Amino acid sequence: MLKKAKPGHWRYLALAPLLLLLNGCAKHSAWWIFNPQGVGAKASYDYMMIDVVVMLSIVGITALLIVWFMWKYHKGKNRGSYDGKWEHSNKLEVAFWGIPIAAVAFLSWAVAVHGSFAVNPYNPTVITQHMKPKGDPIDIDVIATDWQWLFIYPQFHNMAVANELVVPAHTPVFFKLTSTAVTTDFFVPQLVGMIDVMPGMRTKDALESSHLGTYQGIAADYCGAGMSWMLFKTHVVSMADFQHWAKGVESSPNTMDYAQFNRFAEPYINVHNKTPVYGHVEKGLFNHLLLEVMNGKKWPLPMFMTENMFHYLKLQAAEHRA
Amino acid sequence: MLVNLPGPWSPLLGRLALSEIPYTNPILAPLFVIIVLAGIALVVGITYYGKWGYLWKEWFTTVDHKKLGIMYIILGLIMLFRGFIDGLMMRTQQMLAVGSGHNGMPLMGAIHGYLAPFHFGQIYSAHGLIMILLAATPLLVGIMNIIVPLQIGARDMAYPYLNALGLWITAAAVFLIMISLFVGDFSHNGWFGYAPIFELAYSPGVGVDYWIWTLELVALGTTLGSINFLATVVKMRAPGVTWTRLPVFTWTAVSANIIALTSFPCLQVALALVGADRYLGTHFFTAGFGGNLMLYTNLFWLWGHPEVYFVILPAFGMISEVIPTFSEKPIFGYITMVLASFAIAGVSWIVWLHHFFTMGMGPYVSTEFSVATMLVGIPTGVKVFNWTFTMYRGRLTFSSAMIWSIGALFLLLIGGLTGMMLSIPAINYMVHNSVFVVAHFHMMLLCIVYAVFSAIIFWFPKVFGFKLNEAWGKIMFWLFSAGTFLVFFPMFMLGFMGETRRLDWPFNLQWAPWFDIQEVGIAVYVLSVLAFLWLIYVSIRDRAENRVGADAWGTSRSLEWITDSPVPFYNFAMVPHVNHRDEAAWRREHGFSDKRPEKFAAIHMPNNTPVAIVIGALTFVIGFGLTWRIWWLTVAALVLTVLVMIYRSGKGDPGYIITAEEMEKMDRESRQKMDDGHAPLPKGGGYTGGTVTAYSAEVGDPGSQSTPPGNSRPLS
Amino acid sequence: MSSAHEKPVDPDQVVLWSDDYEGHDVISTRTFGFWMYILSDGMLFATLFAAYGVLSYSHSYYTGPTPAQFVAPWYTFIQTMALFLSVLAYGFSMAAMKTGSKAGVINGIVASMVLGAVFIGLDIHDVLRMISMGVTPEVSGGLSAFYALTQVHAAHIFVGLIWMLVMLYQILKKGFTEDVVGRLISLRMFWQFQAVMWVFIYVFVYLWGYMS
Repeated sequence: MLKKAKPGHWRYLALAPLLLLLNGCAKHSAWWIFNPQGVGAKASYDYMMIDVVVMLSIVGITALLIVWFMWKYHKGKNRGSYDGKWEHSNKLEVAFWGIPIAAVAFLSWAVAVHGSFAVNPYNPTVITQHMKPKGDPIDIDVIATDWQWLFIYPQFHNMAVANELVVPAHTPVFFKLTSTAVTTDFFVPQLVGMIDVMPGMRTKDALESSHLGTYQGIAADYCGAGMSWMLFKTHVVSMADFQHWAKGVESSPNTMDYAQFNRFAEPYINVHNKTPVYGHVEKGLFNHLLLEVMNGKKWPLPMFMTENMFHYLKLQAAEHRA
Repeated sequence: MLVNLPGPWSPLLGRLALSEIPYTNPILAPLFVIIVLAGIALVVGITYYGKWGYLWKEWFTTVDHKKLGIMYIILGLIMLFRGFIDGLMMRTQQMLAVGSGHNGMPLMGAIHGYLAPFHFGQIYSAHGLIMILLAATPLLVGIMNIIVPLQIGARDMAYPYLNALGLWITAAAVFLIMISLFVGDFSHNGWFGYAPIFELAYSPGVGVDYWIWTLELVALGTTLGSINFLATVVKMRAPGVTWTRLPVFTWTAVSANIIALTSFPCLQVALALVGADRYLGTHFFTAGFGGNLMLYTNLFWLWGHPEVYFVILPAFGMISEVIPTFSEKPIFGYITMVLASFAIAGVSWIVWLHHFFTMGMGPYVSTEFSVATMLVGIPTGVKVFNWTFTMYRGRLTFSSAMIWSIGALFLLLIGGLTGMMLSIPAINYMVHNSVFVVAHFHMMLLCIVYAVFSAIIFWFPKVFGFKLNEAWGKIMFWLFSAGTFLVFFPMFMLGFMGETRRLDWPFNLQWAPWFDIQEVGIAVYVLSVLAFLWLIYVSIRDRAENRVGADAWGTSRSLEWITDSPVPFYNFAMVPHVNHRDEAAWRREHGFSDKRPEKFAAIHMPNNTPVAIVIGALTFVIGFGLTWRIWWLTVAALVLTVLVMIYRSGKGDPGYIITAEEMEKMDRESRQKMDDGHAPLPKGGGYTGGTVTAYSAEVGDPGSQSTPPGNSRPLS
Repeated sequence: MSSAHEKPVDPDQVVLWSDDYEGHDVISTRTFGFWMYILSDGMLFATLFAAYGVLSYSHSYYTGPTPAQFVAPWYTFIQTMALFLSVLAYGFSMAAMKTGSKAGVINGIVASMVLGAVFIGLDIHDVLRMISMGVTPEVSGGLSAFYALTQVHAAHIFVGLIWMLVMLYQILKKGFTEDVVGRLISLRMFWQFQAVMWVFIYVFVYLWGYMS
């Protein structure tokens, strides 16, 4: 298996989006940050552009100035006059302090202050200020384990799905997040920015999107050996499709109580990208876990379990978990 | 009170067992054999040439700040190479592993690429820790060690013995992290560690313990060094070196060491508390039992961010010495340059939260730290403008030292641009923990590396008496820059494509071409490493042709350039009286460059001591004993350390006296040696005053041969 | 600074070498360096105080005891007095040094050591008492921070006692040499600084803990 089963030259076609970058992005661009599909991600993108334009104008001019001086005052080229005494100018000093101060002042007001409130994960005004009267927001409880995600829908019969997130379009979705293992980070690059997911603690996040599609979700902070496989696809679907999907999940005979969660939370590397659904999850599981972890409950790692992935996957398979 | 370990433990060997040595690992086992063979060859070689006595007397027991500085730099360069190899392995892993499908090497236990996650984790953790604390820090401390006393006209640091102690404790940290390659394993939690994954429940091996004690040792060594630097600059300045005549590099050394002195204790405490959690079962950073895992992150970055400026400020200082020298002008805006350094040092204390905007601390706190972070951009911007306008109306010589410094400027600009993006929470949420951040801080750290190479080329002739090869210095610059571009431009792009950090399996095939480009960049970096080795070789081979006088560049400015090259062990035959901030340029301008002292006085010099290296070795043993929980060894080494310190304190160091006559003789010989050796002087003007039209004489112009405009004395 | 080189320079008047430079003052340099160490030690305590501050909310004690249930401020007040008197005794010893009285210095340091040992003894006794009550650092984050702060301070005091012992030997062996005097001054700074830190610990950990 030493040989890479990877396609050949055609993969360089993936560089093509670089061209598209110049004139707007394609619908399913590889440039996730430049191609925001969620309200929050879009706001972040806009702020980024303001910041880059302001800073690039200063940095760019400075870079050009350096290059120009390098050319002009090159010794022996006789392009500029030499003044070996010139080491101070009040006017220039004022400008040198003034320009960055002005830039920082502008960016602080226009981007830092506004942006912090606009995409504040706990209460993003870009979503909450224009919350549509039709359609209540959806709550989702997110529980990160070593190394899986569990998404619980309290308004939908407490159904849950692991390692896959389905949300309706045009509807604000509010997350409560916690972890039963270690700290990690919830991130869907095209929809919503990162928020830490910590054991024994509850963080919040919110997303809204009007673009149907499937977006990649990532565990963005190092949380152990299974992190790279701790992925979840996020499907933004129409409300009708969502209702239909929810019906299907709710009717699943598969359920989860605390004892079953205990087994679910044991370290598991999701290499096969399994997305089990649970028609019903014990009520209050989220808060119960929060308390349990604060009381010192742990699902510790066996020593050196991941030193050899093959070995570990065999072990996982032997336990009928893979 | 000690916690129960999830593994075997014996009183004699602690957790150490034969199985901890990875002799089956197809990468580490051959590497181990190679290192052992190389070590044997080195020992045999030194024994064959009978150099042990020389090494022991001249280097291992020395308290001379220049030799200690050289050893710091060698240590730093070796670790820079080790860190680079880690980087190479990471890049190769991501290139091989990217995309779905079976591309793993079962031999290595990996299902994607050739490294299992646990192994990959150790590599990037070691890479980060090594590059910041065991490569950048020793390189900068080494250069400060050599140059700061020379720039203020001192004979040595304030506490020469403490200086040696700092070096050997840092060396102990280096040995500890190197031994973790072959005995047990290293931490996989990143160089800064995450709570609570470094707790025993989630990291049951010794890796995190290696990490703790390596960091503690570096922190100790660096704190000792910073006390020494501050005392040296405050107390040891030669007459005439007023605060406004301190060269900018020395000022940045002062500001940097104030940061180090005050911030490293935070790191020491943070790690000691992690140690307490792991060894004593306390609950500082656990999720349960009332612990607070966010406390760790705060404490760590409370040190971590000032540390960033601790390493960047001396680099700024180096650029501030190199650019004026090769612009033949004083630095533009000296006062604001110094103020900016201290502004950066001050602001560095109030920005640490931007390392974890994503922790969800609310918009008010986020905004506050966002604005504070942007404030750093103001003095940094001022510095860049000042360097730019130092070149304005100058006469620029693009020597290899100069182009490294200018390269550093450009990296700083890119790093600054991206830094201003990251400082804003709204943007930060999208790129935090992504490789965009990684690319950003590599710009900043490479800015330091560029400045360090610039400084090494710039001050090499001062320390060794001959210049490094200019052509190979430039070849290395271009190779290194090509490597930098090829590795980090794709990394920025990958950040925009949403790739997060520390993925040992990058799942998205669309990233693949960029990984390939990065791998090419790594190959170019390898060439630049070879170019560096060749640069050293050629320079030593041709040293006879590249000998220099006191003023090696002909346009040098600060005080260190008035003493002989190589600097004699006593630094200055007579302590200079300083008349100007740019003393060497001032003396050159007024025709005093040839003046030697007429009368001499007896001087007092410290003796060499083996105590420092012994304590260094003992601290290594303490670190190793703690890592493996070999209590008897730890306690024994600790008690021995205290006893050795008491012994040294009782014995004291009377030092020795060099009489005025001996001094005069040595000064004559030193001058004779320098004059005999050096080849035609470099041409150049370099005046502190007087407006003259652009000087256009080319190197080798016979007209300027008769009256060397800048450089020192006539050939005797 | 441009004015400096505007002035004409007379080659016969200019001073290039410091012929009468005496070199730096060893004791003042040593003292300055030790001040720098004290600053870093201050940061060490500041960090521990920060940790204690963060870990002294009621939930930090988990279900275990809070300081109000186990600290004994009057008992600790005796410790405080012992340490203050120790500093005072060390002050007398330093005053005796000014008159060159070896006996005075030694008596002062011995008294200071005895009082310091009383402090340590009481501390150990107090810790044993608390452990027997089940108040151990493993119980909760709050107790971990409590022990870290108080025992790191105790460790400093212990180091100070060893230092005093060494200094006694050196005074007897060498008398008041430059090295010995410099170390005695550093030790004074160290000892006073530990007493100052103890004031903070006593107020914020013991008194405040008792009252809250």
